[in-house]
Amino acid sequence: MIEIRNIGLWYRKGQKILDNVSATVGEGSTVVICGPSGSGKSSLLRCINGLETFQEGEILVNGISVQNPNTNIYRLRANIGMVFQHFELYPHMTVTENITLAPMHVLKISKTRARQKAMELLERVGIADQAAKYPGQLSGGQQQRVAIARGLAMEPALMLFDEPTSALDPEMIQEVLEVMVDLARDGMTMVVVTHEMGFAREVADEIIFMDHGRIVEKGNVQTFFNHPENERTQQFLARILR
Amino acid sequence: MDWAVITDNMGYMLGGLGLTFQMTLIALSGGMFLGCFLAMGRLSSKKWVYYPASAYVHFFRSQPLILVIFWLYFLAPVFVGRPLGAFYSTMIAFVFFEASYFSEIIRGGIQSVPKGQVMAAQATGLGFFTIQRYVVLPQALGNMAPALITRAIVIFQDTSLAYVVGLREFLRRVNLVDTREVRSVELYCFAAVVYFVICTLGSLFADHLERKREASKA
Ligand SMILES: Nc1ncnc2c1ncn2[C@@H]1O[C@H](COP(=O)(O)OP(=O)(O)O)[C@@H](O)[C@H]1O
Ligand SMILES: [Mg+2]
Repeated sequence: MIEIRNIGLWYRKGQKILDNVSATVGEGSTVVICGPSGSGKSSLLRCINGLETFQEGEILVNGISVQNPNTNIYRLRANIGMVFQHFELYPHMTVTENITLAPMHVLKISKTRARQKAMELLERVGIADQAAKYPGQLSGGQQQRVAIARGLAMEPALMLFDEPTSALDPEMIQEVLEVMVDLARDGMTMVVVTHEMGFAREVADEIIFMDHGRIVEKGNVQTFFNHPENERTQQFLARILR
Repeated sequence: MDWAVITDNMGYMLGGLGLTFQMTLIALSGGMFLGCFLAMGRLSSKKWVYYPASAYVHFFRSQPLILVIFWLYFLAPVFVGRPLGAFYSTMIAFVFFEASYFSEIIRGGIQSVPKGQVMAAQATGLGFFTIQRYVVLPQALGNMAPALITRAIVIFQDTSLAYVVGLREFLRRVNLVDTREVRSVELYCFAAVVYFVICTLGSLFADHLERKREASKA
């Protein structure tokens, strides 16, 4: 589903942010990416849906090359949902409007149909009663669930999550993770940047550890937690699993 | 002093306010519309968009408004082939001129919207103009409302310049009454009071919005 081949990314000369990064995400699988802050995790996610322009390598999503000039990047993005650390809900729109904006303007479905769909999704993430409120009136956990619903509203084949629970109060982390676990179990293809190792153990098919723009460790849950080979991974795990 | 000259000609003079408001409204909406595109141009990373937009803005901000009004009144017929008429040529001058000021206000407003908002919208597959229209500009508008109202007040005052091409807006009508009645002190005091009241109301409204915005932030 996603083929990442030897990606190299610079924001400015002399500072390589991603260095020869390669990975494959199979259909229906969940890949967890972790690593210290500044290691390039967010940049990598943004490369996958073309929000960032990389200088080396190639990324294929469902066989379509992200940076090929002939690729309709808007159509590609419509097929990839993304959830951010700070939710990024539109503060001037109600929860329903947040969810229906893209389906109405990208997929051109009717307002009635879009709203109906939004209600189903809000039902699914457990906050149907908040549909008419503004993001500012919701708790962090509720906002992030709205953001997930907003992503799902485009019926994407793939969801990207960039530290979806890092900005949340501890008591709200679980409600968001539960939604994500359900999604993974329903067969959604997901790439999740997170340090929630409980989540990783539960649903990850593969865990990737990044450091200084490189993938330094890659493996399934068993090998990653029990036999990490890289010294940096060992240190990282020791700190995070304490 | 004879204040009767004011009550006697009240209807005629205040009638000119209709034209004053009409011109303000057209200059405001037209200037903002064109200003939106200029602002986007000024924020573009594409050089062929950025430079023309910037040149436009800097040019018009370097010109006195009255010259732009003359320009369109006297020179537009040379290009268009027929006179546009005082009203249309003045309105076009105002829209062109004000767009350069609105562009800078709107640019500031757009920049006040966090980048993450645009990124989130892009990630759903929305295009540039849809994002501006539904995500960026509505949020920018809240941040720039006080500056827009301040500019609207300036436009309201500047419409009086239209007298140079013969438009009978409020101040011109006061001036015409004075030519006939020769009561300058009373008449221009009256004009001052009218401008003062209307602009003060506008300023109070801008302050009110500003306070509301501060409160909503806290
Ligand atoms: N838009 C940007 N422009 C310049 N530098 C950036 C930008 N985004 C990220 N960086 C830099 O790239 C590096 C990797 O950042 P990021 O991908 O956000 O890492 P992570 O998500 O793992 O914390 C950091 O050094 C960061 O400062
Ligand atoms: Mg990050």
